[in-house]
Amino acid sequence: MSMRQRLRVIVSRAWALFASRNADPEFEDELQTHLQMLTERFASQGMSAKDAASAARRQLGNTTLLQQRQREARTFLSLSNLWGDVRFGGRMLRRSPGSNAAVVVALALGIGMISAMFSFVNALLLRPPAGVDTPGTLFEIWQHNRASAGIESYFPFTYPDYRDYSNRSQAFSGLLAFDGDGAPAIWNRAGEGEVVQGQLVSGNFFSLLGVNAALGRILSDADDQQGNPQPVVVLSDSFWRHRMGADPHVVGKAMTLNGSSFRVVGVAAAGFEGLVVGNEPEFWVPLTMQEQFTRDRDRMTDRQAYWLLVVGRLRAGMHGAQARAEMHTLARQLEIEHPDSNKNIDAMVYPAALVPGPFRGYVGLFTGLLMAVFGLVLLIACTNAASLLLARATGRAREMAIRQALGAGRGRLILQLVVESLLLSSIAGAAGVALAWWETDMLLALKPASIPISLRVPLDWRVLLFTGAVSVLTGMVFGMIPALRSTRVDAAPVLKEETQTGSVRKSRLRSLLMIGEVATCTVLLAGAALCVRSLRNANSIDPGFDTHHIAVATLDPASLGYSDEKTEAFYRDLLEHVRMLPNVIAASYVDHLPLGTAREATSVRSHVGAKNPTMVDVFSVGPDYFATMGITLLRGRDFTRSELTKGPATVAIVNETLAQRMWPGRDPVGQRMAIGDQKIETEVIGVAKTGKYRTLGEEPLPVLYRGSMPPQRTLLVRSSGDARPLLDAVRREVQSVDPSMAATDLETIEQYMAFPLFPAHTIGLLLGVSGILAVVLTAIGLFGLIAYVVSQQTHEIGIRLALGARREDVLKLVLRQGLLITMIGLAIGLGAGLAATRLLAVLLYGIRPDDPVTFLGVSAGLTAVALLACYIPARRAIRIDPMSALRHE
Amino acid sequence: MGGGKSEVLQGTLDLMILKTLYALGPQHGFGIARRIEQLSQDVLQLNEGTVYTSLLRLQQQGWIASKWGQSENNRKARFYSITKSGLKQLELETENWERISGVIGRVLRLERQG
Repeated sequence: MSMRQRLRVIVSRAWALFASRNADPEFEDELQTHLQMLTERFASQGMSAKDAASAARRQLGNTTLLQQRQREARTFLSLSNLWGDVRFGGRMLRRSPGSNAAVVVALALGIGMISAMFSFVNALLLRPPAGVDTPGTLFEIWQHNRASAGIESYFPFTYPDYRDYSNRSQAFSGLLAFDGDGAPAIWNRAGEGEVVQGQLVSGNFFSLLGVNAALGRILSDADDQQGNPQPVVVLSDSFWRHRMGADPHVVGKAMTLNGSSFRVVGVAAAGFEGLVVGNEPEFWVPLTMQEQFTRDRDRMTDRQAYWLLVVGRLRAGMHGAQARAEMHTLARQLEIEHPDSNKNIDAMVYPAALVPGPFRGYVGLFTGLLMAVFGLVLLIACTNAASLLLARATGRAREMAIRQALGAGRGRLILQLVVESLLLSSIAGAAGVALAWWETDMLLALKPASIPISLRVPLDWRVLLFTGAVSVLTGMVFGMIPALRSTRVDAAPVLKEETQTGSVRKSRLRSLLMIGEVATCTVLLAGAALCVRSLRNANSIDPGFDTHHIAVATLDPASLGYSDEKTEAFYRDLLEHVRMLPNVIAASYVDHLPLGTAREATSVRSHVGAKNPTMVDVFSVGPDYFATMGITLLRGRDFTRSELTKGPATVAIVNETLAQRMWPGRDPVGQRMAIGDQKIETEVIGVAKTGKYRTLGEEPLPVLYRGSMPPQRTLLVRSSGDARPLLDAVRREVQSVDPSMAATDLETIEQYMAFPLFPAHTIGLLLGVSGILAVVLTAIGLFGLIAYVVSQQTHEIGIRLALGARREDVLKLVLRQGLLITMIGLAIGLGAGLAATRLLAVLLYGIRPDDPVTFLGVSAGLTAVALLACYIPARRAIRIDPMSALRHE
Repeated sequence: MGGGKSEVLQGTLDLMILKTLYALGPQHGFGIARRIEQLSQDVLQLNEGTVYTSLLRLQQQGWIASKWGQSENNRKARFYSITKSGLKQLELETENWERISGVIGRVLRLERQG
């Protein structure tokens, strides 16, 4: 039969699975008609009715058998057969519950870990925003700088750009915009300040998304008119429930946000939590009210203030490709109209999901890597399962032989064995879903409280479908080899009980599987160990400041509209108050903490008008900053109080890196420099030790400390002991200095540091778990194999012992097999590992991908575990009593 | 499972059915069995039920099609007819059969030599 014919038959059989539900009765009719015609014919030839009927039956043949054959040939399998296989498989599984439970647990761990990873992928990348009408037609639009590369080449929209795109687009029925960073505000409630998260949104935000009001109304375009902005606010359902006690009369009430009065017009429908992960607003206000939140007067007209995320609703009948093409065209139009600001700026379109389009590749890479690691763990669990099934197949060789002798086809037997494997893997899959559910909760709990992200990771149909597919695939992977092997039985010798030869072949196949398992485990361990060591290298980096004993809190008097004098007075009073607290040895403030998300930079020249400026990161600090943070001043002195409060800075402190770059080989103290475009030169009064400012892994960065402070500052309070008890005290002091003020991000420096360390900690934890799982599973696999070999060789060992072999020799004999497998597996694994870890090179910090210590350590550790796993069953071998072993059989 | 002997028989039956449908047009199973019986002049002993196994196989390969209709004496019966690709297959198989039977005939006619 040609390939095409074969395909035809397969298609036609597959079609029969669904199509001909009444094929059986039809065929029966056909046969009955045939039988009647035959009978009539015989009767017309002169036979008696009885003779004619029996002659007809004889001539047609065994109709029951015919129907059975027809049923088998018509499609792949009949459902009645499959159900029989499932029930039979269930009975077989119940026969050895212990080992099956072990297989199921191992597989469930593997499947559960992969599913947990996938549910994160799903929640972040695949699932559209919740609570929104037909999310399939929503698309994010990002601006992209063609002249730049990497993640920095993508950026949000300016307000004028948003208006232009919004007015000109035909492919989208509308474009909405919202403030990507969110607008935190102080909510003044009965004289006390409380920080709440808001979002500035365009007037069509809710109507375009199809989000309704549960109470009152949603925002409208009329609220969001430039020149006539309305101070109205829509509350989120959870804010209204948890912070306002679900007040049914909230609509129409006034609410003081950042010192201005807003009118509550509605509560958004429950289930809508915003469009971007990590940004779940508690209230929404019109974009045109932005000045109350950003204190930026020009933002609505500035063509270089990029702050708006834009989402479009596709017009009915339009396709994503058309929208894409239109956005490119509009970008080119704007490039021509505004060459200053829009040169090289393109617009990119992505389907709406919780992670912004440009970042999806990074998140995907990160989660994909972890999924690959857990895929290896699952592969190891599969190998164990296959190995166990192979061992069991030996015991079932007789069953297979009998069934073949009775006429069962090989395909039929394979099918039945695969059904048994699928039964196992489905149970494991179900357990895996439960595990995944628990694991995602656990992983979410690991997230430091300071990361303002509340993520819902639901087990929706995508996760269930994925887990189902992984389970079936798993079942096929570990079920196929044993099924193929164990149905290749030569019935005659098996039935005559000459079974030993078959089992030796099978244990050789098991050894091969085990070698593969050890190799996989080696690759995984080497990769995991390298990553964990690299993370530990990165974590042990000295950030250059004390990471203990400090409480931090962020304050922003400007959000209440305070004047500069009032702001200074507030901070002066606050510092005085907190310095009086017990155990406090120093207190200061800074405009932003190092290793956070905020950053400020400027340029430094050796004198006014000099060429080749050096770009530096700038920190604006308060008095005693260096003492409070535990940063060492290498030379010179700290700022004095008066230097910090006087107008433009005339003195500055530099870090060592900047000093070396500006004045190599000279004493930096007393040197002069020009900061930014200032016309007055600044004098260097001190040199601080270089630390880490942006990320822990960075190269030394030049940094400048100066005194001019913006109103938003981070308060630093240093304790002589644990800083935790200080948190409540600081909160009280803020309230007592100014009742309408509220501190955000009140935490200890340890909690703060959890933020830069969070990714590393999570990956380290997951890799550690995967490594432990892999080692345990491999040990169990080795143990099982050696135990099996010993049980098969009981007779042989008995003879050896009876002939005078020493127990040590027997022990060596058994151990040698295990060690041989381990060594071959290790050799293959090390080879593959060296190749595979090269791919990790870009991710590793302070360690080479072929680090000999790591590879040696992994080899030694794995060998030790393997020896132990083999030794336990081997001891059973030397305890064999020769007499009873020989009497057996 | 089928041994070598029935394989040849199966193939032959398939060919005979195709030829019958080609020669006589649409037929039901009973009619096909009669035609083969008639042509084979009782040389081939046939369990008529196997015709249906053959018909299913031919159908799955797309060489014949079937539909329900009325028989001569008003019985509901399934009528089988040859398809376009069935015609092509018949031509191919006929050629094949003639070649092989020619070879076998020549071999069987060999005289004893020496």
